[in-house]
Order: sequence, then structure tokens, then C-alpha cells
Amino acid sequence: MLPRLITERQSLRASSIMGSFDRGIAAPILICAAAVLAGCGRSDTAAPATQPATEVKVALSEAGCEPQPASVPAGPVRFMITNSGASHVTEVELLRDGKIVGEKEGVKPGSSGDLVLRLEGGGAYSVHCAGGARNDWPLAVTGGGEGPGTGPANATLAAATQGYHDYVVTEVDQLVTSTKQFTDAVRAGDMEKAKQLYPVARVHYESIEPVAESFGDLDPEIDARIDDVDNPADWTGFHRIEKALWQDQTLAGIGPLADKLDADVATLKSKVATETYQPAQLGNGAGELLNEVSTTKVTGEEDRYSHTDLWDLAANVDGARKCFELLKPALEAKDPALVRQLEARFADVAGSLSKYRQGDGYVDYSTVTPDQRRQLANAVNALAEPMSQVAGRVV
Amino acid sequence: MEPASAARVSRRRLLGGVAGLGLINAAGIGLAGCATQSASAAQDTVPFYGAHQAGITTDIQDRLAFAAFDVTTTRREDLQALLKTWTAAAEAMTRGAMVPGDSHANEMPPADTGEAVGLSPARLTITVGFGPSLFDGRFGLAPRRPAALTELPALPHETLDPARCGGDIGIQACANDPQVAFHAVRNLARLGRGTVVTRWTQLGFGRTSSTGATQETPRNLMGFKDGTRNIRSDDAAALDKHVWVGTEAGQDWMRGGSYLVARRIRMFVETWDRDRLSDQEAVFGRAKYTGAPLSGKTESDNPDFTAKTADGQLTIPEDAHIRLAAFENNNGLRILRRGYSFTDGTDARTGTLDAGLFFISFQKDPAQFITLQRKLGTQDALNEYILHVGSALFACPQGVPDASRYWGHALVEG
Repeated sequence: MLPRLITERQSLRASSIMGSFDRGIAAPILICAAAVLAGCGRSDTAAPATQPATEVKVALSEAGCEPQPASVPAGPVRFMITNSGASHVTEVELLRDGKIVGEKEGVKPGSSGDLVLRLEGGGAYSVHCAGGARNDWPLAVTGGGEGPGTGPANATLAAATQGYHDYVVTEVDQLVTSTKQFTDAVRAGDMEKAKQLYPVARVHYESIEPVAESFGDLDPEIDARIDDVDNPADWTGFHRIEKALWQDQTLAGIGPLADKLDADVATLKSKVATETYQPAQLGNGAGELLNEVSTTKVTGEEDRYSHTDLWDLAANVDGARKCFELLKPALEAKDPALVRQLEARFADVAGSLSKYRQGDGYVDYSTVTPDQRRQLANAVNALAEPMSQVAGRVV
Repeated sequence: MEPASAARVSRRRLLGGVAGLGLINAAGIGLAGCATQSASAAQDTVPFYGAHQAGITTDIQDRLAFAAFDVTTTRREDLQALLKTWTAAAEAMTRGAMVPGDSHANEMPPADTGEAVGLSPARLTITVGFGPSLFDGRFGLAPRRPAALTELPALPHETLDPARCGGDIGIQACANDPQVAFHAVRNLARLGRGTVVTRWTQLGFGRTSSTGATQETPRNLMGFKDGTRNIRSDDAAALDKHVWVGTEAGQDWMRGGSYLVARRIRMFVETWDRDRLSDQEAVFGRAKYTGAPLSGKTESDNPDFTAKTADGQLTIPEDAHIRLAAFENNNGLRILRRGYSFTDGTDARTGTLDAGLFFISFQKDPAQFITLQRKLGTQDALNEYILHVGSALFACPQGVPDASRYWGHALVEG
């Protein structure tokens, strides 16, 4: 399956080239009108491009997207993407180890666009273009280290990123266990038990969702919604089974999907075992979790059949809170006022959510009125705004 | 990095006004070779500081973005901080500068959202007002509530949607470029997140009145000039008498301010469009194309409310809009109108256009509006074609004299 199906994931990529969980090999470079400003003594430093970007031409055609040259030194790289008439090939992704490092969408015939990335990590990348006769074209990055993230100098931040690694590993361990309990019920045809376990299993996915989303195909396999797939017959994962349980009300033929879900979360487990993180990724990942909440969770789109959205929503917030807690020692030194503001707003969100607690979980989201949903969204947006300042403060 | 000076770089200069376009504040940074404020930029800029807030008597701009906010904090310090931040941002944006703060650090979201970069200031004005609800127990402001500032009473011919009414704080952004007006409201909403939530917003795509001495009267969506006899900005006596709050308010913070009444007036344009021309003209009391009162020949002719036709009928009918609204027939009562046409798509229930007039008036006492609307709401021939569906009242404080003060300073300090 082509790694382009999940709107969630696309928004992740679009919003945070810097912060996506991709081992810190990509950093955006703001190319601004420095030339125009030269001589006018602007005292800010809007022109950071001290190291000239290596230019790589990528001409989109029905044949594909061959990069020229196919080998570049590590550092800033400007992909100059042109499309002289390939109507089926309009986007390019740069991948490394199957993960998206950066992408440019919507390069229609007759148009062009640039994608500027800082490729610090040397090694084999590939330029991917869906729809071409050949989808994948190799790009070698020479020199460079393991990225800017050979380890933060600051011990506080190192503790934060290590702590996040441990958190993700623990969450995914629990995901594997809780998913197995859920899929066992599905395989046994026990609808009631499966319904009970569905939100419980998902919690450990939602808390680390941006990490999972950074692994290309894996997130769509596990968490796609029906509108994310081109062909409903190819739809897999939690929401496919959710539909079977609540809407179709039959588990006939769902067994293989349960098996596949187990296999996919097992793959996720193996991937996160060796994953390392950059401090900025924690900050941006937290922001992405909150953006998820305020755009798709609060509307009730995520769990449209089961209405268990509040479980997911709370897990997203928990994941963001974890990122914040880990960064707090470093942030405290840089901007204590921001820490206090975030504390207060996390408390507001927790207060808003607590109204909907029921037993070990949350009320059916369909019983939450539009006004109440708006109130929740307001609280989350109020939190997400200062959270967006965090990554910049800690790097 | 010096964020403050980054903000002082004008949007135009940032995007490439190589010569003469930039509005560079004399920030003391090396500006050799760079033009200072040009004549065209000056014409595009309305001063922010002054005894009165801009956006009231300012020659009315073409576009409106209006937002009503509710304050979610209960701490007065938060309210003070919000108003300070908003004032600084509003002052910068009206100069055509970006929102203060860092918009160039790669690892941070830009302080300014950016959609006005490269655009002219477009005569942007941003006007703030405080709703009666702000003066409840939350901030200890109850003792400072002027007697005149109470929720508008129920008025005839209204069916109000609570989702389009009220608000603790109102922001009126007007500009000659819709994107500049939108940018202003969007950025204030962003800066206020966590302290305020947006209650409702309204865009206006075209002005329906004139406030400048030489501005031509535009037409409303009914195709009529309704606003010919508005108070003009050069009529200082009328402004003092009808618009600016003086010593009578009993609240220093409102001296030099004014009360803003906003009414979302839905027009049933489909039924209006099926009315014959002569009736349309009788409803307004004016000729559709010349704008002249039915008793006169040109738009500027004063209406003669005693004139009669050959068969003895009143030339301007008893229930004509201009007769009922005229100051001659209301003990001299006048208001400053500053409304905008709007459309928000179609009414899902009926398939008709959701369009009309976003009425805004400024007056020294809301009672002026209430008195007029009680009369119009019961007698106006226009009522067959309109309905008031949204309503708000805001007390717009005196202007900000300089950078040492902020919106509502005298209200929320001390």
C-alpha cells in the first residue's frame, strides 16, 4: 500500500517537518527574502541559510521522479520539483528506512515547487512518487553523522528523550497486550467483550500516536478511518473492526483482520524498541496530539461507530502531558512562566474531561452536546497555543 | 534576535518593497538607504493613538471583520495582560507591521500568522468595546459599569439567536482589504487563546454607509442608498452631541468613548426582489436609482415630510423608513451608522440567501438606538422584508493616547 492514505498522518507531516518523529534527520530551513532585506539593517536574523543548500532537480513524469544528482552531501538540500505534464504524479516524498522525512504535494502539470530539508544523517534515502511507472528512486546522502541527534549535550534534555523512549516502549508493550485481549474476544466472536475492550486497547495507541504515524504505512494499517482508504476492501485496523462491532453487528470474516492487527502492533513494538528522539520532537509531538484532539477527536469523527472518542481524546492529552512533564526541567530553566501557563491549562483540560468520566472510562460521546464539545475544544486550543512554543524553547 | 524590531519591519518591506513602499518605524536600527514612510503608505494608514478610538468616525472602510469574545479567566491580571497584548498587536497591525514577537525563528510558530504579509495596511482600524457581561462579579468591575451599559431590552421585530448575541468583549476590524481585516481578528483571537474564547464572528463584505465628509453613499443589498443623512466625521458639534460620551457617563474611562450597537439584520432578499419598484421606493421613501427622497430631486435634498401628492397622499408615506428614522421626527435624535452588508451562504431550512445588513451604530447612549428601534420595529414598512437575528452592545472606551497606555487602561487598572 502506498504511504499516502492517512489524513491524520498527512497533517502530521505538513505541520511539522522539524518535529515529526523521524529521528531528527530533517529540519526545515526558512528561505526568506534575504536579498531584499540586505542593506536595510533588519536586526533580526531571518536569513539562517549560511550553509548553501545543495540543489537536487526532481522532474516529475509518468516514468517517475528521478533525482538529479542521485547523491548529495549531508546538509541542507533543496529539492527543485517540476512537473511538465505528468497528471498522475503530483507529489514527492523523501523516505528513509520507510519513514517520511519530507514531502511536497500538489505539484500539478505545469507547476513547480521546492522542498528544503536539512539531511544530517548520511545513508540511503529514497525519493518516492505515487503514480509513477517507477515509484522509488534512490538518493544517497554522503558524510554526515547519525544526525544532529547523536545526543543532546544537555543532560536534562538527554534524560527527557531517554524518558520518552522508555515511555513509548512501555505504552507499546501495553498496546500489544491490550490489543491481544481485544482481538481474542473478536476471534472468539464475543461481541460484548470486544466492545468493552476496544477503547481500552486503543488508549495505548492514541497516547503515542505521532510516533506510530512516523512509520509510513503502519499507522494506516492500524488506525485508518474509512475515508482514509481508496478502496474499502483494503481497509484494516481498529476502526474496521469497530465498524463490524457497532454498525455491521457481525464478526463474520473479521478473524483475519484481528490477526493482522496483532501483527501490526507487534511490528510497531519492534520499531519503537530502537527509536530515539530529539527534544524538539517531544514538544512538537505534544502539539500534534493536541491538534489531533481539537480537529478530529472533538468532532466525533474518530470513533464514529462506537462513540468512544473521549477515551482516545484523554489518551492524546495524556501523551502530550507526558512530553511536557519530561521537558519540564529543561523548560523551567528557559521559561518558567510558560511552564506555569501549561500547568494551569493542562489542569483546565483535565477538569473539562473529568465531567465525562464514567466508571473506568468515559461516557458515550454522542451524549456530549455541541456546546459541551465546543467547550472541550476551547480548553484544548487554549492548551495547544502555549504548547506550540515549547519546542522552540528547548532547542 | 530582537523580536521587537522584527515586528517593526513592515509587511510590504518584508516581501520585497525594494524602494519606497516600506513603512519602517524609526527603530534606530541601521536604515541607511531605506525609505521612510512614503506618502502612499501614509494614506493607507489610520493613526491608532488618539483621544478617540479609530474606526468610529474614520471614513468607513470597505470591509469588516467583527468578533465577540467571552473571557474565560476570572483573574483581573489576565484581563489586563490580554488588553495590553491586544493593544500592542493592534497598534502594530494598523501600521502594517507584523504582530510583535518572533516570526522568523525556525523552531517556533511565527508570532504573526502571515497572511497580511505584503499587503497594504489598507486603512485598518481595530476598535474594542466591552459588553455589559464583563461587569459582573468576575473582575470586580461592577462599580465601574456605567448606568447606560445594560443589556439591550427585548425590542420589537426581533427573533434573536443566542449564538449571535452578546459577548464580554467586541472587536471591530475595518479595512479596505478583507484579508487585512480578517488577519487582525484572527491574530487577536490567537493571542487571546486561553483567556478568551470566540463567541461569534461576522464578516461584512461591503460598507452600507458613509462617515466621511466626501464619501459617496453606497447601496445596501436592497439596492437602496440608506445612510445619506448619516453624521459625518467633520461635523464635530453633532459628534459631541450624539456620539462621543462626555462627562455625563459618570465613568472617566468612557469619556471620549462611544456605545456600539451591533444588530445582525437578515434581509429576505428573495421576497424583496419580487416587490414592484414603486413599492420598494415607498418602503424606503427614496427613489431607488437617484437616492433622492420621494419629495425631492437629488440625493442630498432634505426630505419634505409634509409634501403631498396630487391626490392628497403623503409623498413620503407614513410608514416609510426614512420618515420614521429621521431626526426631525425623533426630537433631534441621531446615531452614527457604520454597517456592512453580509452573506453567510444559504439558509439550510429554506434554501434562501442568508444575507443582510450587519448594522453597527455608535451613540453616546444606547437609549438613542433603543428609542429609534422601538419605533422602527413597530411601524417601519421595511419590517416585512427584514428580521433582527443577532444583537450586541459594547462600550467602546476612550482612545489610547500613546504607548504607555492600553485599551481599557482606566477601566481595569487601579
